[in-house]
Amino acid sequence: MSSSAALLQPDASGSRLTSRGDLTGFFMQLAADIGADSYMLVAIVHDQDRNDARIVSSNWIFDAIELIGKRLIANLALGPLTVAPGVRPKPLVAAHAPDAGALLTGEEARLLDVLGHAEIYSLRLNVGRQRLFVLFSAGEAGRIDLTALMKAQLKCCYALSSIPQLIAAASMQDPLSDRERECLFWVSEGKTTDEVAVILGVSSNTVNSYITHAIQKFAASNRAMAIATAIRSGII
Amino acid sequence: MKHAQVKEAATAPFNDQRNPFGAFSLGSETHHAATIPDAVRRCRWIAVDINASGFGLYFVSPSAERARLVACFDSDYPSTAVATKFISGANGEDVVRQSRISTAPRWWADDGIAGSRRVLQSLAWAEPTAPLAPGTNGIALPVHADRGQCGLVVFLGSEITLSDDTLCEIHARSFALFAAVARIRPGDTGRTRSISKRELECLKLTANGNTSEEIAKLLKLSVHTANQYLTQSTQKLNAVNRNQAVAKALRLGLIE
Repeated sequence: MSSSAALLQPDASGSRLTSRGDLTGFFMQLAADIGADSYMLVAIVHDQDRNDARIVSSNWIFDAIELIGKRLIANLALGPLTVAPGVRPKPLVAAHAPDAGALLTGEEARLLDVLGHAEIYSLRLNVGRQRLFVLFSAGEAGRIDLTALMKAQLKCCYALSSIPQLIAAASMQDPLSDRERECLFWVSEGKTTDEVAVILGVSSNTVNSYITHAIQKFAASNRAMAIATAIRSGII
Repeated sequence: MKHAQVKEAATAPFNDQRNPFGAFSLGSETHHAATIPDAVRRCRWIAVDINASGFGLYFVSPSAERARLVACFDSDYPSTAVATKFISGANGEDVVRQSRISTAPRWWADDGIAGSRRVLQSLAWAEPTAPLAPGTNGIALPVHADRGQCGLVVFLGSEITLSDDTLCEIHARSFALFAAVARIRPGDTGRTRSISKRELECLKLTANGNTSEEIAKLLKLSVHTANQYLTQSTQKLNAVNRNQAVAKALRLGLIE
């Protein structure tokens, strides 16, 4: 009936995803249900000062990704048009690139339009503490159903939640043990080693060793950098 | 043409005045100053829509080991419901742990009525969990706000009516609700605006693992000046040391 009604039907194959193949199938179906032509599931990896887009799954043609460039994709995902679940999404209309402000140059906008991404929606997905982004696009503006899109955003979160290992491998993993994470959290709250030792009821040496391990796992040079890395990747 | 009509019909309930989607649209987001009573009202609307008799909003404490839920409000606001005592007690631990890796809703049915269990069981994406409060049925929706805050919006009741489609809708509304509540308790943001560009630069370099000496070299300052910038920004952020200053600046989005 309506495209949102298609979302109503439980998947015939059962709702849990198990493989990367399922993931592709799920997103293809979802894109079709909301009136989109393409999707791209992206994880953002923070590397020092730069944000890199890691494409987890996508049906964009390979050349398009090469032409557009991952930097632009990272900018789109982290840009002001990306909405959290529950916020009415706003499209990036490639044909009216000035809307996008500093996001796109005229050249890039034309390129997107030509490649069949006239209208792009960028949605933030929460999978537990992990954050991913999905871009849905259509060849012509106004085709994507907004209400269905807002519901689809949650459906994406649910689907990705059913394959946590795959998601963790795709985006940056949380390499810390519970204890290391907890120590790092208290240090980020401004506690000293001795204070953390009192809070957790262990010795200061133990606390220091947890924090050293955390620093090593992040390949950080000191505590401040380890904290920054952990916060950026949503671990603490 | 046909598509436009369908779209309008589908959007209509969302534009309903009492639906919070409109109020949290992109444009109004930054200006909308919500209060806790506002949030309670919004949450009650969601509860009414799914025929739930109780609700509550809880923050997940960021400490991993002590998985704990901190109640923000519940359906007995400004007092506290009995269920909340169970939920923020040990009963919530399992759900909190799961909410770190999954955004799937968790349901339980402990009221002994077969029919009400069936409704929750039929949801495709929701997972069963141990009862958060004994003798109740309910569903807990994990929610996340912009700056990494996590929470749970919980609905209780023996007569909850939910479909997969409605679940997506109320979960989206719960996300918006939590984002608004998380903005009310942002901690201490009052004085952060006065931080200078230079101070932020120093903080950012600190976050990237540079020592004061390295920062001084990179910015062509004396070590003393670099330290001074860092001390000032630490004070302005109301932090006790640099580590906390870096953490606060990142969480507040002052640096990336």
